[in-house]
Amino acid sequence: MEPFISAAPGINVEEIMDAIRKKIQDKKDSGLLKQREIDEIAEMELQPLPDFQEIPNIYDPILYPGAGENQSPSVSLEEALRETGPLKAVMKKVRSLFSPLIRFMTRPMYIELKTDILQLQKKDRIVMQSSEYIRLLHNATHNMIVEISKLKTEEELLKTKIKILEDRSEFLENRERALEKKLPPT
Amino acid sequence: MKVHQFLTSYAYGDAIGNEALEIRDFLRANQIESEIFTMHFHPRYAHQVRNYLDYDRFSDPGNLVIYHFSIGSPVTKKFLRLPDKKIIIYHNITPYHFFLDFHRILAKDCFRGRLELKSLVDKVDLALGDSEYNREELLRAGFKQTGVLPLVMDFAKFDQPVLPVLRELFADGKTNLLYVGRIIPNKKIEDVIKTFHLYQKHFHADSRLFIVGEYRGFERYFSALQNLARELGVENIHFSGHVPLAEVISYFKLAHLYLHLSEHEGFCAPIPESFYLGIPVVAYAAGAVAETMNNGGVLVHEKDLVKVAALCHEILSNQALRAALLAGQETALEKYRQQRTGRTLLAYLQGLQP
Repeated sequence: MEPFISAAPGINVEEIMDAIRKKIQDKKDSGLLKQREIDEIAEMELQPLPDFQEIPNIYDPILYPGAGENQSPSVSLEEALRETGPLKAVMKKVRSLFSPLIRFMTRPMYIELKTDILQLQKKDRIVMQSSEYIRLLHNATHNMIVEISKLKTEEELLKTKIKILEDRSEFLENRERALEKKLPPT
Repeated sequence: MKVHQFLTSYAYGDAIGNEALEIRDFLRANQIESEIFTMHFHPRYAHQVRNYLDYDRFSDPGNLVIYHFSIGSPVTKKFLRLPDKKIIIYHNITPYHFFLDFHRILAKDCFRGRLELKSLVDKVDLALGDSEYNREELLRAGFKQTGVLPLVMDFAKFDQPVLPVLRELFADGKTNLLYVGRIIPNKKIEDVIKTFHLYQKHFHADSRLFIVGEYRGFERYFSALQNLARELGVENIHFSGHVPLAEVISYFKLAHLYLHLSEHEGFCAPIPESFYLGIPVVAYAAGAVAETMNNGGVLVHEKDLVKVAALCHEILSNQALRAALLAGQETALEKYRQQRTGRTLLAYLQGLQP
């Protein structure tokens, strides 16, 4: 096993290691340092803020039409998940074996749905208007959520930047005071 | 013979840019025409560099072009198409996975850089690393003609006093731990903060941590570090941001121990600089760090943070150990004092002449 530390040949590494172990053991014995605390600190991970610039802008296609033409077309999830090759053939076979049973089980639900749809179609105009309205609402809500998420991350980033500026300003104030002390009296 | 240099970017205070400048000045002093061509540059250096796309006017098969390679960029493509003799100086490329959560563009450029490195094999006349570690990486990548061109270490610039204002602020009897370098994810500054927290809480409350370095471009990483410090409840951490050299030297001189827990280093200049300034160094053995330490300081092989904190306390409280470490560091420093980067470069250049 590789030693924990190495140093110049004249330095007794074992002696240093004994001193380190003793220091840690003393702290543990006095109850000030617990293994749980050490593990927790070691496992703590950085929580970076999301980069709001990476969230695609929903208005880009409207504001910059044609900008995405040179990009590769996106592949839909269904397309990506679609079975291909021998697996596809096997799945088709299995499904065809079970299809009468599946159809029998789902028939009552299907009839009920069909009846409902027919009834709704009678109120066609209202349904069409409502569905348009719902689609519009859905789009508006979706866009709002995206924009609010972006604003939220931007706000978090700005808060941190303010904190950085506060620290910097505090340091500069201290620096100014130190500088004033160094000035000769006039 | 004319020897020109290519680099992707010349940022303010950038080590690679500074090295290119040192090389250019050395070549000019030896009556060799030399210019620097770059893609991006800080406005401060506008009069020192030229646009890499203008190189066609200078290109000649009798010329030698040195490419400082550290990241993927369009400069590589331009460099590959030149009829001139080619040398690369490989400064290492940070593995892209360190940047995935914080800087997607840089992650992409680092990934691309590794691919471009492979494309340079068999296309260059000589591949130099700025450390033996980097040279070994070049060998693994498939380069046949390799060598080491050590970084120019100008220690004389450190011979200046601590700025009075910083002395007034920080020479207050507290024990100061120091990290110097860019605030980027592969440097694992979160580990430095955690170690300092354990050190401050359990071994020496009257202590302070200086984190000296640029964080622009990595604000999200920087803010995550600040949140971590807040969550741990650790006090007295001073992030300086980018500061002039005089201030960096002051932080070095006010520090009692240099702590470096980075997980990827192609060289790590602050280590020999700490050696020179008589600050004991504790560093994690990753990348070229062991080679840079050259048996000086204390090399940590395992990231057991509580043990590292106890080690820092032992070094700072045991005067005999501290003195022995400083003596070891002084011996290790000899290697850098005897380095003659300019002469080594001239020897490589002469070897490529017909």
